[in-house]
Amino acid sequence: MRAAWRWSAILGAVGVSATFPLWAGSPYGLELGISVALFAVLSTGLNLVYGYTGLLSFAQVAYFGIAGYTSALLWTNFEFPMLAGALMGGLLAALLGLLIGYASLRLSRHAFAIVSLSLALLCQIVSRDWVSLTRGPMGIPGLSAPTVAFAGIGQVSFDRPAAFYYLMLSYAILVLALLYRLVHSRIGRAFLAMKLNQPLAESQGIDPLGYRLLAISISAAVTGIAGGLYVFHLTIVDPSIFDFYYTEAMLIMVIIGGPGSFWGVLAASLAFSMIPDLLRFSTDLRMIFYGIVLVTAMLAFPRGLGGLLPARIAVPWRCRAQA
Amino acid sequence: MLVSSMRATAMGLAMTMVVSPATGQDAIRVGSSIPLTGNLAFFGQHSRWGAELAIEEANAAGGALGRKIESDFQDNRCNPAEAVKSVSQMLSDNRYVAIHDGLCSSVILAIMPLIERAAIPLVVANGSATAIAEKSGVGGNKWTFKVNPSDASLAAALVGYLVAKMPEKSKSIAYLGESTDFGRSGSQGFEIALAKRGLKLASADYYQQGTADFTAVFTKIRAERPALLALYAVGADFQNVIRQYVSFGMNIPLTGRVLTDQIPPEILQSGVLDGTTSVQPYVPEVDTAQNKAFSAAFQKKFNSLPNLLSRESYETMRVLIDAIKRAGSAEPAAIRDALEKTSLESMLGATLEFDANNLAHDNAVIIQIRGSKIEVIGLNKT
Amino acid sequence: MGPGVDLGLPLQLLINGLVLGVLYALIAMGLALIFGVLEIVNFAHGELYMLGAVAAYFLTTSLSVGYWGTIALTTAGAVGLGALFYEGLLAFIAGRGFERSILLTLGVSMVLQNGALYVLTATPRMETTPYSYRSVILGDVSIPLLRVFALGLALLAFAALYVLLHHTRMGQAIRGVAQNRAAALMVGIDTHAVSRLAVAIGVGLSGLAGAALAPVYSVHPTMGVAFVFKAFAIVIIGGLGNLPGCAVAAILLGLLESVVGGFFSPTLVDSLGFLAMIMLLLFKPEGLFGRGVRL
Repeated sequence: MRAAWRWSAILGAVGVSATFPLWAGSPYGLELGISVALFAVLSTGLNLVYGYTGLLSFAQVAYFGIAGYTSALLWTNFEFPMLAGALMGGLLAALLGLLIGYASLRLSRHAFAIVSLSLALLCQIVSRDWVSLTRGPMGIPGLSAPTVAFAGIGQVSFDRPAAFYYLMLSYAILVLALLYRLVHSRIGRAFLAMKLNQPLAESQGIDPLGYRLLAISISAAVTGIAGGLYVFHLTIVDPSIFDFYYTEAMLIMVIIGGPGSFWGVLAASLAFSMIPDLLRFSTDLRMIFYGIVLVTAMLAFPRGLGGLLPARIAVPWRCRAQA
Repeated sequence: MLVSSMRATAMGLAMTMVVSPATGQDAIRVGSSIPLTGNLAFFGQHSRWGAELAIEEANAAGGALGRKIESDFQDNRCNPAEAVKSVSQMLSDNRYVAIHDGLCSSVILAIMPLIERAAIPLVVANGSATAIAEKSGVGGNKWTFKVNPSDASLAAALVGYLVAKMPEKSKSIAYLGESTDFGRSGSQGFEIALAKRGLKLASADYYQQGTADFTAVFTKIRAERPALLALYAVGADFQNVIRQYVSFGMNIPLTGRVLTDQIPPEILQSGVLDGTTSVQPYVPEVDTAQNKAFSAAFQKKFNSLPNLLSRESYETMRVLIDAIKRAGSAEPAAIRDALEKTSLESMLGATLEFDANNLAHDNAVIIQIRGSKIEVIGLNKT
Repeated sequence: MGPGVDLGLPLQLLINGLVLGVLYALIAMGLALIFGVLEIVNFAHGELYMLGAVAAYFLTTSLSVGYWGTIALTTAGAVGLGALFYEGLLAFIAGRGFERSILLTLGVSMVLQNGALYVLTATPRMETTPYSYRSVILGDVSIPLLRVFALGLALLAFAALYVLLHHTRMGQAIRGVAQNRAAALMVGIDTHAVSRLAVAIGVGLSGLAGAALAPVYSVHPTMGVAFVFKAFAIVIIGGLGNLPGCAVAAILLGLLESVVGGFFSPTLVDSLGFLAMIMLLLFKPEGLFGRGVRL
């Protein structure tokens, strides 16, 4: 019975989001839709590495931005198609994640948190200062998404917001489906085991470093590819792509949704992408709002929404290991 | 036959006389993306004021095509990515016949592809990077029109003066500019102008916008003992640089695009900056009848002296409004065609006409600080 | 390099570096103290520095308080704010997990920074004092007077801190809690009061730095960002919770930045701290002087 509920809810959500441009197709609405799809991917990526594997990571924005720059540079200098560039960006991000993960996880999870933060800061500084490569604060403007011929529909230019929305939506659904399968598989259970009780997990033969690196690289790759695509919607990439704003938004979504809760984080990412926009919050107000939410959450309910609601209703929303 | 055609003509004339008088229709809207907050907020404010004054004067004289003109200003914080977001939104709102400036050169270069795609004219008032005009006009972005002079021509005018009047010092000019299209365009302009005379810059250093501490770069520059320091800084950074420059005791005469009207009064009074030679598209001290009128009107409305931002913005908006009138329609394409045929006199006594790169050639002003006073040395054709 | 390079250049760079390093130390010490005693990473530290600068700006500009009066008032205010910060927020999460403290203080930082942006806008402001354009000249070396004052104030603060920590009972209690919280409790030390004092001092140092630097740099809501992350790097390089180590690391970083900026390029300078930290974490994680991130 519960499975049927869940499936109809999912199908409903997919249906709503697929027809979104028809009933809310203003440029403003589409922008919102693209943002929602983007953050669904970003927050679930962070959820994978923080919620399921227990590694607080500030590096997500670094992967996002590096892949964005990679994609932009490949397109500008070598005429790489957008998708290929984004994939390369995701690959580079994954490699970077592996590097810092391997280097710092030998020490502790806390070292990883700090190194991940430094990576994000360093990326912003380097993108700003290495002018000969990245053009520094001047950015790389003029990025243009491709025009593709689809059988039956004709030419579709992904520069148009509606088309780009479908692109982001498809990518988001793909990533979410993939990650869902991952966390409900043996690998996912290994992640949880390590997060909850590392020595016990080790005694069961689970190699923490290997699994953690896996989580990091997958999370980095999906975040990176999202960045590699998104810069084509922005038409420009500059050091502001590494802004702390993205990190803070992702953290809010994961923490409120409940680290380790797949649907909780997804719901939170939906809410937190949309609510500040709907309330016509300026960026500053939005960030104040996030900050207050974060402080309140840390004081009152560090386990997220899933930890607040009573057991019967909360089970699907909680971290699987807490249910 | 003759009678019926006369009757038709009379009817036609009568109808136009009924339909044409003002108002009753929507205003013509111009969109503008400028830094309203951040390091360049003060400049953005002036850019806005200049545009608003031009619009007010035009509306008082009946508007254009019988309609009032209105403008909307969006904040871009001098950040290209933010500008792209806000301008994209403005363009998709579909109510603007033209976009006015962006102020920062990096911003303008980033939005040029957007306005081209949307087929809406962009009139540039303050962004001075040479690349803007290089990428416009024939063989490039046909929708971008630059009213103010390029850094290349400003630098050429200044270097010409320096080499003529201070030949020894011109051999050792250090350069400090912000790390943006503006700052780099400045050094390029200097290099090109110096190269024509067989000279080059002694050094070129760049700082990030918003840098707090200039001690390191000043130390480096001072150690090389240049004869002149060309400074390309704007906004709050300019204030910060000048302050630290004076308190560090740099003692090297300044040149480049020093914002003489932005120098804190106590520093100007102290005489420390005497000997500064600067080039700008405008200073309030320029002595022409039109400037006097403009300055008076500006002070009356905004209680502040105009500066180069406000004046360039004013002049550019005038150009745009004139084009709309000549176009006879509020269609962006028609306005663009009308812009190409612009011929208007600027308040510096030059005729504003767009060349093959959609660049107008207004006069540049060479300024010196002598005896704690700002003096206009001359007006150069660019 | 250019015509006429003299010994003045290295000397000037050295002095610049020392001044910069001491100023970094002022901000980083507060962070180190809070971590040492509470094991909390205070992400909001940069914003507390910014608040100090903003307060100083308004005291000087709107209320025409003199330079020294502003310094005194702002520091006192910061100490009070620190105590409040502890009682109102940090007390609830002390000792409850590294991640929780990072996220809580991150939230505070977001509220403070964006609150300031909202109220004051991003436009920088200049605080002018009668000392603003004067400098101390020693041969070929010149140091702006206000920086000399800031240097002096910082050294004074360090001296006071040293005396407090090593020659008073309260200071002994602080060191005790920093060494071993549980043991300190058992010996009857009021850890709550000690923690509160530590945070008050830490925030006070930050506020002092803000007031001292407000007339040197420009005042704007995001001015703390650059400093806090460097302070973070300094604290880790010096060894988490190791105060003298932190001071030494700060000065070393100041010197390094100054030398690299002077001989190479000023644009490389900002990345140095983070590169150094990453290198250190990979090869000597307990920091240069001990007690690293092995939690």
